[in-house]
Amino acid sequence: MAASARNRVPIKPGFFTIPDDPNEPPKIIGTRCNDCGEHFYPRRAICAKCMSENTTEVQLEGHGTLYSYTFVHFPLFGSTNVEVAEGYGVGQIDLDAGPRMQMPLVGKQDEFEIGQPLVAELARMREDGDNDVMIVRFRPA
Amino acid sequence: MEDVAVLGVGMYRFGMYPDLTNEDMARIAGMQALADAGLAFKDVDAAYVGHIFAQVMSGVRVMKEFGLTGLPVQRIENASATGSATFREACLAVASGRHDVVMALGFDKMTAIAGLSGGSPDGMEDAILPAAFFALWATRRMHERSMTVEHLAKIAAKNLNNGALNPMSQRQPTEKITVEKVLGARMISWPLTTRMSCPIGDGAACAIVGRADLAKKLRPDRPVVRVIASDLQSEKYAPGHLFQGPVVGPGQMTVDTSKKCYEEAGVGPEDIDLVQVHDAFAIEELEYYELLGMCKPGEAEACIDRGDFELGGRVPFSTDGGLIARGHPGGPTGLAQIWETTLQLRGEAGKRQVEGARTGLCHMMGGGSVCAVHILQRG
Repeated sequence: MAASARNRVPIKPGFFTIPDDPNEPPKIIGTRCNDCGEHFYPRRAICAKCMSENTTEVQLEGHGTLYSYTFVHFPLFGSTNVEVAEGYGVGQIDLDAGPRMQMPLVGKQDEFEIGQPLVAELARMREDGDNDVMIVRFRPA
Repeated sequence: MEDVAVLGVGMYRFGMYPDLTNEDMARIAGMQALADAGLAFKDVDAAYVGHIFAQVMSGVRVMKEFGLTGLPVQRIENASATGSATFREACLAVASGRHDVVMALGFDKMTAIAGLSGGSPDGMEDAILPAAFFALWATRRMHERSMTVEHLAKIAAKNLNNGALNPMSQRQPTEKITVEKVLGARMISWPLTTRMSCPIGDGAACAIVGRADLAKKLRPDRPVVRVIASDLQSEKYAPGHLFQGPVVGPGQMTVDTSKKCYEEAGVGPEDIDLVQVHDAFAIEELEYYELLGMCKPGEAEACIDRGDFELGGRVPFSTDGGLIARGHPGGPTGLAQIWETTLQLRGEAGKRQVEGARTGLCHMMGGGSVCAVHILQRG
């Protein structure tokens, strides 16, 4: 199909991976401190906990737990994806690896519950010539 | 902070003014502040100018509207806390002994915010509506405590009704705003409706700062309003820290900044007679009741239901209408809080007057984030 032949690019590089296999879920790009073991998202050079420069960029699994949620009653700014034309969920997600992130959620408000497990997936935000501009969002597992 | 006083204050009412320039609004607010102080522009030794969205050099250009005296002009920007940070620099300049009379002037036209003017988001954070980040606080609070949407609506209604008593407020409702009217307004990001949120607007505000003995000399007819504490802090790391989004940082930042001010001033939360906070959304004010120490953790809802924070209550919050009613152009907001607190401590707040007001606290946040707290006291 034409859709799977299009090139997928991230809305901004360095925040999540786009696997070659379209069936594979994205990983979240973060940082691990080699001295104290803390994980961070987004990636950073210096550990925010112990200030060490001994850090490594890592790919974190897109698995987490819902810490909070809301539902925005406006279309997602900059998106041409009809799924978000009427509004979209937003969540605070605690990744299993530790960092807390804020991302769109898939679903209607009454489907969200604090504490529920979530998985990350890629979604098309809009098109840019031959490219599909991709974002990460979380879906109840 | 030693021997710093507010000599005069002035404002340009916040609102939508497509035909007014920053120069117009700032000049009027500044001239009003000078007149209030009993001073002329030539008496000003230094100027700190705060603005977020006006282009580079705007601050210097605005100062030229008053005259070209060669005084030092320094722009300050700290997101929503710009006006407070500007005021803080003016206070530090006087406290250091470097300058005798310092103008702190803030202005902004908020229609320049990206999203209103089109364009594409730079990364995911910019695409998500800012209100969503605050709505997330509300949902979490409802999960952890006994908060309901009615509590949020009570705060918003209080602030809108206070704004009706303030001639400088952007929103001055002509009818009493009820909880139902707040809940029935358009939903932005659940549970926040438009009436629980600050409006978009333009405006200007100014404070002239100098030593207390100068204040007494210039205006012996009225009480001196001293600045007895000032602090500014940024975020400290804790597990679960959110690094992205225009959020105003962890609650701990408000606790730490206000604690430093209470220690500096030698007062406690129980000594504060009125409070202005960063109530961009009603959920924020609710959290700040606790974070500033005016009620114990978990008790905000009971205090709201008791009317503790209304005009005439135990400790009124947002006496001028807060960000929700009075408005929130980023540059001047913090200075509008100083304007209100100064008038209250002088006994000049008219229908909004807090009886016997002696000590006021001003709390602001800047996205990114920073927290700025000031304590003002009569005498």
